[in-house]
Formats: sequence, C-alpha cells, structure tokens
Amino acid sequence: MLAGKEIRRAKLRFGLLSGAVGLLVFLILFQQALLGSLLLSFTGALENQSGTVLVFSEEARKNVSGSVILPPEQAQIAAVEGVGSSAGLAEGTFTIEAKGTDVDASIFGFQPGGPGEPTRLVEGRLPTTPTEAVASKEDASDGFGLGDTVTSVDGGITLTIVGLTERSRFSVAPTLWVTFDGYTALRKASNPDATAVLPSVIALTPAPGVSASQLAASVNEQVDGVQALTRSQAVNEAPGVSSVNTSFQLILVLAFLVVAVVIGFFFLILTVQKQSTLTVLRAVGAPTSYLVKALLKQIFLVVGVGLVVGILLTLGAVKGASAGLPISLEPTTMVVTAVGVVLLSLVGSLFTLLRVGRIDPADVMNRQNAGGLA
Amino acid sequence: MAALELSSVRKTYTSGDAEIVALDHATLEVGDDEILALVGPSGSGKTTLLSISGGLLTPSEGTVVVGGQDISTYSAKQLTAFRRDSVGFVFQAVNLVPFLTARENLMIVNDFGSSRSHKDAKARAEKLLDELGLSHRVDNLPGQMSGGERQRVAIGRALMNEPALVLIDEPTSALDTKLGEQVMELIVSEVKSRDTAAVIVTHDQRMTRYADRTVTITDGVLAA
Repeated sequence: MLAGKEIRRAKLRFGLLSGAVGLLVFLILFQQALLGSLLLSFTGALENQSGTVLVFSEEARKNVSGSVILPPEQAQIAAVEGVGSSAGLAEGTFTIEAKGTDVDASIFGFQPGGPGEPTRLVEGRLPTTPTEAVASKEDASDGFGLGDTVTSVDGGITLTIVGLTERSRFSVAPTLWVTFDGYTALRKASNPDATAVLPSVIALTPAPGVSASQLAASVNEQVDGVQALTRSQAVNEAPGVSSVNTSFQLILVLAFLVVAVVIGFFFLILTVQKQSTLTVLRAVGAPTSYLVKALLKQIFLVVGVGLVVGILLTLGAVKGASAGLPISLEPTTMVVTAVGVVLLSLVGSLFTLLRVGRIDPADVMNRQNAGGLA
Repeated sequence: MAALELSSVRKTYTSGDAEIVALDHATLEVGDDEILALVGPSGSGKTTLLSISGGLLTPSEGTVVVGGQDISTYSAKQLTAFRRDSVGFVFQAVNLVPFLTARENLMIVNDFGSSRSHKDAKARAEKLLDELGLSHRVDNLPGQMSGGERQRVAIGRALMNEPALVLIDEPTSALDTKLGEQVMELIVSEVKSRDTAAVIVTHDQRMTRYADRTVTITDGVLAA
C-alpha cells in the first residue's frame, strides 16, 4: 500500500526518475550496439571467414594489411602436424569506382573451397571466376548491390557483384571478396611490375581432434618468423580494436556508475525527507521489513519502467539507424545490461536501505517538531 | 484487570561517565477504562514513561504489564507486534503519512500484518472517521486538512486496532485553546465509549479536567 500510493501521488517525481534511468539505459545499450557494430566493421571479415587459425608474419604485429607470407613459410605451415587444410588469404586496399564515385575498398582474395572463405553469405553466391566478387550487404546501396559492376581505378578491371555478405567488413571500408586469382589480377593490373602476388595471411582449419588453439601453438612452435592466432584472438587483438574496446568499456562503466548514483541519491533524499513519517510508522507497529519491502518495491518499479523506456528507445534508434549505419542489439546484451542496472541500483540504494533498517521507533517522540510533514 | 501496570520502573541513560535517571522507580496502575493525565515540566520523564508504556523503550529495571501482557522482556520484534496490536498512539504533531488519505492513514496499520481483511479494515476506518466527524474528509490528504482535523485522524488511527490502551502525547500543543478543547472532548468521548484506557501527557493544567485522575511527575518521580 505504502509504496504504490506514494508513487501514485508523486507521479511526476517518480516519472522523472524513471525517465532519467530510461535515458541512461538507452545510453548504455546504444553505446554497446554501436561498439558491436564498430568492431564488426573493423574486423567482421576476420570473424566471419572459415579459417579458425590465421597465421601472420611476425613483423606484421597482428595487422592483416602489414602481413605477407613467403612461399617457403607457406609450405612449412602447411606441413605442421594438425593442419587439416590451409589456404592463402590476401588483403589489400584498392581504389574502386562504384556508382561513378571513387572509394577505397578492402579486397580479400581467398581460395574457393579452402579456409578463408566468407561464411556469412546472405544473398547470391560466392565468386567462381576472377571477375566476380562478393560485397557487403551494408554497402549494397552505394553501388555494391547484387548485379552491380565496379571497376578498379588502377588497371581498370571490372568486377560483377554476384553475392552479398553481412557482418563481414574490414577496416570500416566497403569490403569485397574475390577469388585469389581475381586478387592476383587486380594486383598485377595496378602494379604491372609485381612478379608474384603473395598472401597476407594463411588461413588454417585444424585436422579432426585438434583444437584451434592447439594448432596455433604448434605453428608458433614449429615455424619461425610467423605468428599464428586463433580467429577470436585475431579479432580481439587486431590493432586499434582493443583500444576502441577499452575506451568504450570505460564509458560504459561510468554510465553504470551514474545509474547507481542517481538511483541511490534519489531514494536517499526521499527517505531523509520522510524520515519522520517512517519513524511514526515504526512506532505504530510497522515492522522494519515492511518499510524495507516498500522501498525495494519502489526501486524495482522505477528501474523496471526505466529499463522498458531505455530498451524501447534503443530498439527505435537501432531500427532508425539501420538504414545508414548498420547496428544491431543482441538480446544477451539487453539481458546482461538489465541485470546489471538492477543490481547496481540495489548497490546504490544500499545506504538508504540500511538507513531505513536502522530507524528507531523510540525517536518518534523526539521527531515531533522536526519535519512537520503531517 | 488494569490496562497498564508499572512496577518500580527505572530508566537510566548514560551520558559520558554520568548516569542520568529519566524514570525513578515509577509505580503506576491505570484501570481498564480510566483516563489518566500525566503532567510535569519538560524533562521530567513524561515522555519516557509514555514510551516505556507503549513499548517504544524498554525499562532498565522493573516490570511493565499492558492489558495483561508483561512486555518488560520483549524483543524488538515482539514489541513491534505489541505496538501494532495492543496500544494506540497519538503524537504531538507528526502523526500521519503525508501521501496517504485520511482513510488510508487508518487502514495502513492493518497492512502491517493484521488478521483483519482489507474490506473490514476499510469499513472500520470509515466508521471511525464518521464518528470523528470526518466523513467528508476520508479521501483528503493530510495537507488538505486543518491541524485539528489531522489530530482527529490520528485519534482514529490510534483506535483502529481496538487497543487496550491509548497513549497520547501533548495532543493539543499544536492547536489553539478552542481547538485543543474540542480535540480533548473527542478523545474522552471516543475512549470512554470503548471502555479503553488512556494516558494523556500534557504540560497544560487546563487539560487535566478531562481526565479521571491526574498524576504529576517531577525529575522522574511520580506523585499522585
């Protein structure tokens, strides 16, 4: 009775708090969605290709664009025990004319059928000839749609888009997947003096019974001058990714703390204001548990409404943003955020809960001139 | 049976090294339909005596029996239930929950774990408010009522659980003389009509005429 009636008779006050919590939840969720899509735009191509181990040249320091694997190393890697299959995967930045505009695109050359193939094909098919390419769904409206043709500016090779992937971009640029032969042709056209086109990394799949991390360890042990990483290591340790991650995590932690502090202060102020009333209630027979339950009920209600508001705002924003900026929100992220917000609200309100628990009913006689709330 | 029996009740506080005696071997009996006025200067121990009688404080020595229950050794939890079921309180000024209506202020005591149903509590609250001349105020918040009306709602709340003893602390201190007299008359008629006992603490000698008996307290010592 106590908790609900108070909210009903102070709708504006509680409504504003729920709104504030809702906006903070929106901030937290939207930021996570943004972070997820930003990281995917950085390393989606590595995450969503079929090789579970990627071997870089050691001096590349986990940077695909700076890595090159020479033929002898390639042979050594393929010979390591535990390798199921291996294939070269090349990556380079090319200026591409699409829809009459020149853009810098990241192009991956993979061996059809081998590890390193894109795995998130959502429309069309993978390329089979050197003049076919798969583009990202996210770039489809910029001249990289199914059936569109794009041309490399240096060398004038025309590629036809025969398929679309999702979540497979690289370095936040339009990303194309071509066959290794197609990649070789593009390289040679832009640099006619090039003698051989070498893969940037070697994509591996382990033999049955061998795990990706075991295989990476074996390669690192047996082949000099290379660094083998599992797919998730390659994604998480890619240059820039970890620092972007850290910066975002820091903002997220701050936003979570703000939620705890806002809720904590609000209920603390409210409780201090009505301390005389709560003391009277204790004096006339309200058990401590009754007052604590009423407070918890209010916290859960305010946070619950705030979460609903925040989630709805985020879903709306994600839907609205999807046209230009491809972002999405995982249900797990929402659940984890919701649980986190509820827990932190309780932590923030701990002091208030303790204060309510410590109310001494005998104080009622001394408090008679304190508040004048009655 | 007496509504309240205090036997040699002592209450002391320590302040630094000194021991302060708030109540010194107080012995008092209040009959089951008696109205007792307790008068004395401020700091004389009136409030301590009222708090001990109502289970807000526990005595340092002596026994306190209210409506046949010896509450001297009750735990904090037992005292809470005792205050809910067996005594009614009317405090000086702060009595009501500001965000509850008059009716809800009465019904809330039922919410603390009473056996009475919500429907019965509502009916009883409305009947009490009607008797107190507040039938037009049942849905008003305390902020919308006058000081006298708020005190009357507090009397209603004190009687809500049919207590054996009503403890009233300076009920008229926040009211002018005329209103104070009206409130006292109401208290007397409500208490008398229910065969309930009451202890009224006041520093105003004029209010003692409403009581059956007056006891004076000075420096923690009772004198008839």
